[in-house]
Parts: sequence; C-alpha cells; structure tokens
Amino acid sequence: MTDIRILLVDDEPDIREVVDVSLGLDPEFKIRACASGADALVTAAEWSPSIILLDVMMPLMDGPTTLVNLRNNPRTADIPVVFLTARTQADEVEQYISLGAQGVLSKPFDPMTLAASVRDYLPPSSLHHAV
Amino acid sequence: MSAKVIKSILLIEDNPGDVRLLREMFDEHGAHDTEMTSVDCMSAAERHLLEHVVDIILLDPGLPDAQGLGAIRRAHAAAPRLPLVVLTCLDDESVAEQALQEGAQDYLIKGQIEVRGILRALRYAAERKRLERLKDEFVSTVSHELRTPLTSITGSLGLLMGNAAGSMPAPMARLLAIAHSNSQRLVRLVNDILDIEKMEAGRVVFNFSRVEVRPLVAQAIEANRGFAEDYGVQVRLEDAHGAAADVRADPDRLLQVITNLLSNAIKFSPANHEVIIAVEKGADTVRLTVRDHGPGIPLDFKPLIFEKFAQADAGAARQKGGTGLGLSIVKQIVDRLSGEVGFTDAPGGGTIFHVQLPCWDHVASLAVDRDAKPGAARLLLCEDDLDTALTLRAQLRQVGFATDFAYSVGDALARAVTTHYHAVLVDIHLPDGDGVSLIVRLRALPQYRDTPIIVVSGDPGSGRDDPRASQLSVLDWLNKPVDLDRLVRILVKPTAQQANRRPRILHVDEDNAVARALSEIGDVVTVNTIEEAQRALKASDFDLAVLDVALAKGADPDLLPELRDSNGNVIPVVVFSAKGASLASDAQVSAALAESHTSIDSLMATVRDRLASRITNIREVV
Repeated sequence: MTDIRILLVDDEPDIREVVDVSLGLDPEFKIRACASGADALVTAAEWSPSIILLDVMMPLMDGPTTLVNLRNNPRTADIPVVFLTARTQADEVEQYISLGAQGVLSKPFDPMTLAASVRDYLPPSSLHHAV
Repeated sequence: MSAKVIKSILLIEDNPGDVRLLREMFDEHGAHDTEMTSVDCMSAAERHLLEHVVDIILLDPGLPDAQGLGAIRRAHAAAPRLPLVVLTCLDDESVAEQALQEGAQDYLIKGQIEVRGILRALRYAAERKRLERLKDEFVSTVSHELRTPLTSITGSLGLLMGNAAGSMPAPMARLLAIAHSNSQRLVRLVNDILDIEKMEAGRVVFNFSRVEVRPLVAQAIEANRGFAEDYGVQVRLEDAHGAAADVRADPDRLLQVITNLLSNAIKFSPANHEVIIAVEKGADTVRLTVRDHGPGIPLDFKPLIFEKFAQADAGAARQKGGTGLGLSIVKQIVDRLSGEVGFTDAPGGGTIFHVQLPCWDHVASLAVDRDAKPGAARLLLCEDDLDTALTLRAQLRQVGFATDFAYSVGDALARAVTTHYHAVLVDIHLPDGDGVSLIVRLRALPQYRDTPIIVVSGDPGSGRDDPRASQLSVLDWLNKPVDLDRLVRILVKPTAQQANRRPRILHVDEDNAVARALSEIGDVVTVNTIEEAQRALKASDFDLAVLDVALAKGADPDLLPELRDSNGNVIPVVVFSAKGASLASDAQVSAALAESHTSIDSLMATVRDRLASRITNIREVV
C-alpha cells in the first residue's frame, strides 16, 4: 500500500505543527513539511508528493513564485498544488488558479475537517494506490 | 510621511463668476505656488483627472451633467484617492453631512469664504484624506497579519476540543471551550472588518443572478440551527411553500444579509421565543422580514443602528458575541443590491427588520428601453449593475439613444440575435463570463462582424492584456464612470458612416422603368407581391419603401404596419399610385402621389427628398 504523501510548505513553525497534527488524523496521510519555497522545490522533486499545500506569504520566495517554479520543473510540473492561506480575496484566488493551482483552503481552517478537505483535491490516481 | 504641499487644485464649477472670484482671491493672497484649473462639467473633470496630476478637488455639486450627491459620488469615483472639498450655496448642515458620508473631506459655504479659510480647509482636507488612506491600509494589513497567529490558536484549540490529543477532565474542557469559542469570535471579527473595509473601498465584486429567496432563507436557518438552540430560540419561515419570490442578487452576499439579520434576531430574543422570517412578493420588489421578540431598539440608538461598531448597550452586546459590524455589512450589501433595509417596532414588543430587493421580473422588464423616442438608434448595454445601467440609459436618452440592458453574457447573446443593435457597450466583468469572451462570440455572428463595440470597465486596464483583445476591433475602452461626451463622439462616427452608405429601397411594383430609375438612387429590391415584400423585410433592412397600391388591389395598406426595420423603426413609404390620395392621412406615408398625375422624374425627386430627410433624422438622433 502506497501512502498518500502530503508536502506542507509554510514559514510559520506553529502553523506547520498544527497542520501536521490535523492531517495526521487521517491514518493514510504521510506528511512532510518545508519552511521555505526553496526547500519545497528540492523536497517535491525528490519525494514526489501526491499533493502540495502551499502558503502564500513567505520570505525570499513566496507561494505563487514557488508554484511557478514547481510547474517549470518536469519532475514536479504535474503535482497538484493547493494554497493554504489567509489571503483569499476573489482577485487573489483568481491569480492562484491562473497560475495553475488546483484550489485554495483558507486560514484559519477547521483542524477537524482539514484532512477531508485536502482529500477532495487528491487526483484519483493517488487514491487508487492507497486502496 | 508628512502632509503633501498642495500644488494643483481642480475646480469643478459651472458658474464663471464664482470661478473668477476664487481665482482673484488666490491671486491677491499670493498663493502663486498653487495652480488652479477649472472645468465646467463633470465629464470634463473626469477627463482631466485621467490625464493630469491633481492634489485636491474643489467641487460645486450643481453641474449641468451631475447634481448633488450624485456629483459628489462621481467625483469620488473618478479619483477615490484625492481629497474632495464641496462648495455649497446652502447653509444646510444635513447636505454637508451627506457629502462627508459620500467621501468628501470638508465643505465650504459660498458667500462665507475668504481666502485664508479656503487654504486652511484645503490643507486640512488633504491631511484628513491622507490619514483615512493610512487607516484603510493599516486595517487591511493588520487584519491579514492577525490571521496568522489566529490560525495557530484556533487550530490548536480546535484539535484539543476534538479530542485529537486525547480526552481531558471536565473543568479543563470547560475552560478550553471558552478559549475556543472566543478565538472563533475573533476570527469572525477580523473577517467582518476586512469585509467592511473592502466594501467601503468598492473592491467587492458582486455576481448577480436570478435568486429564489426562500431556499436561501432555509439555508440560513439550517446554518444557524445550532446557534438558535444555544439561545433556546425557535426559528420559523412563514409560508415556506408560498409563490416563488425571485430577486436579482448575488446569492452569497444575500445569504450573508439573511444570516446576519437572523443571528442578530436570535441573539436578542429571550429563550423559548420565536424568530419569524417571512418572504412576500410585491409588484416590483420582494420583501423579506425578520421579526424577533427581543427588548426592541432604544429610541436614541435608532439613528445609529447601521453604523460600524454600533451597539445599543455595548456591554450586553459583547456578552452576546457580536462584532458590532453585522448590520453595517447588511446595509452596505443591500445598497449594492439596489435594495432597501430598515426596521420597525413590532406590535407587542420586539423588532421587525425588513429588506426590500428588486424582483427578478421587474429588473427583467427594465431591460428593454420602452420610453425612448421612436426611431432612436438602439444600443445594447451589457452591464450587471442595475444602478449603473439605469444611470447610463438616462444619460444616453438625453442625447437621443435608446438603451437595452443585458445583465449577463447569455442574456447579451440572446438579445443580440433577436434585435439588431447599432452599437454594443460591454462591461468587462459579467457574472457568467468575461466581456472579452462575449465580444469574441458577438464577432462570430455575421450581423455583428462590423457593429461598433465599446468596452466599459470599472477596473482600468482589466481585460486589455487579454491576447484576444487586440483582434476584436473594439472601438474604445472607457472607464467608469463613463465620459458621456467621449462615448457619444465614438457612437456618432460609425452610425453616420452607416447613414452615408447607399440607401436600400424596397420597391413593390411591376414597373421596370420605375425600378431602373430607383436603382440610380440606391440599392433596390423589387418584388411583385405582398408575400415577397414580407420575405424581403425579414431578410434585410430598408431605408424607404416605394409601393404601388393599385398593383396589390387594396391589400397594400395591410403591408404598412409591417414596414419596420429590425430595430422596430418605421420605414418611410412613398406611395406611387392612383389611390395615393386616400392614404395621405397615414403619418407613415411620407408622400402620397397619384401615379396618373406624376412623372417618373417627380417621383424620383420625392424619393430623394424622403431619403435625405431620413438620413438627416439619423444624424439628429446621434
């Protein structure tokens, strides 16, 4: 059985921990966390996660730039990306989608339902593996 | 950052005497560093603001093309970041107060001003505007920054409350529940503040569609069920299966209105009482009422109820977990939905809040311009904001156009195929697609390949970078509010070109000599029967019809009501027949000539004359 691998990218250590515990409520989820966009590019290429949860406001390389870089690398180009962010105004969401994001989850989130929300964005292929 | 020096003032004033007086005052005082430009109408001001740097606006709101609060709103919309000082003739504090609510920073009363006073008022207005902007930016930044720690706090507390870290003893759980519910209240507060700030800055996009009110109410009741149970309050929708009440609204925003009114009513109801919601359909509006059995609204608080952070008894309201922004948000949304909100004391205690919104049918019936002058050139305006559409229709009517509305892309395409429009105005943001896609689809229709299309956008530049845009032969991109002079100049050109083409003449006769003579004047379609004439009328538009009554033997007058072009405009008729005299009383029959008494030459002179006057009419219209 292959796990559902989730890569979380957020510069806030507290948020990384809360998301980690929230997603850990789903026994099939295997979670790794990165603190920066640059780390995320490396980890995504090596680990091939099923999905990436990406923060928007991060120093050095912000979420949208990270997404563009992921899309430019053939090894990460097809990995679904969902933004997990406090910036969810209509024009901002439009921008994420136009850059190729699959969706947006807003902060603050409900920790008890976060895992189920992430599952909604998983490609069918990753679910087959897990069965 | 320090206050900016005022270098350039834009004076919007149509009274040359007042302009001169102000200029003299400035010159005498030696305010030479300050340059004053004056314009005499709002359109000119809007144009000026697009092309010049201005530090402050001085506005007399009694202009030929904009009056009162409307003028203030337009000036504010044209330059939301500039300080605005209103010049008024009236010593009326209430007008001035409203001016300030519409975005002005100060007002001056004509006849009571002296130059030192003006300069001081302008400096203060500029400073107030600067502080307002700092505040808005600060609110927006702070709200976003607050969400980051709030995400960790609500997330951690939510996990503990969900026993994700194991179960805990009851006293600990109780304290955690308090922390959890208050952290969620803080989230609501931050969301409300951001909402209000965005709406006040006009940055919220409304997606209008046909919305059935009762299912939305049911959804709001369901979402608040737990909340109502906490207060021991029952919520009931009266006449839940009543006649359909459809309004034109943004469903998400309308749900927000209903939810806010409902949660307010629940909060202020004593336990074991009912909150009753009713939906009634009137002639032009749908009325939604929310009745509670609470303590009612104190008299001195009534005028303040829709203000931000207004709570009659701040202590009591806070105990109820409110943010003090709910009703203020309701008011902002209902205004944008072209509706009204208010409240009354309920008989027997409590309060009834009511919201009135335009009926879908009523809004749909407004789509066709029925009050325009007959024969006016007809335009299609694709715009989803009803108030904007109505304003533009009124302005365009004054210069002789009829304006139909399409509220969506689908609506626009449906109208475009049933009616032929002289020109199409497209808002770039529409609820079911963007304006650029609409133009692509219009251009694909043969009859709209060359029709003038003008983009009207609330968001300068939006859609312009669309790669398809350059190939759509859009005549112009205008920003809202629309510069009417410029719009009319654009519209006149293509319509006049249409008028300069060879006239199309429908000739119902068998006489070849007449047909030959007519073909020197214009493009002639000659038919022999009424049926052929009807087919020809369906297939294309004509500028003039030349009829022979004798040929069709008394059936000819029946064709008259059908002689209209695809816009419904009457086609002038020249009757060439012995019976002509009997038709002369019909206004449509431009020239009733008796065939036996008229040579072909004089018939042609009459035809030329009628065509010339028709083309002149078109020119007058535009």
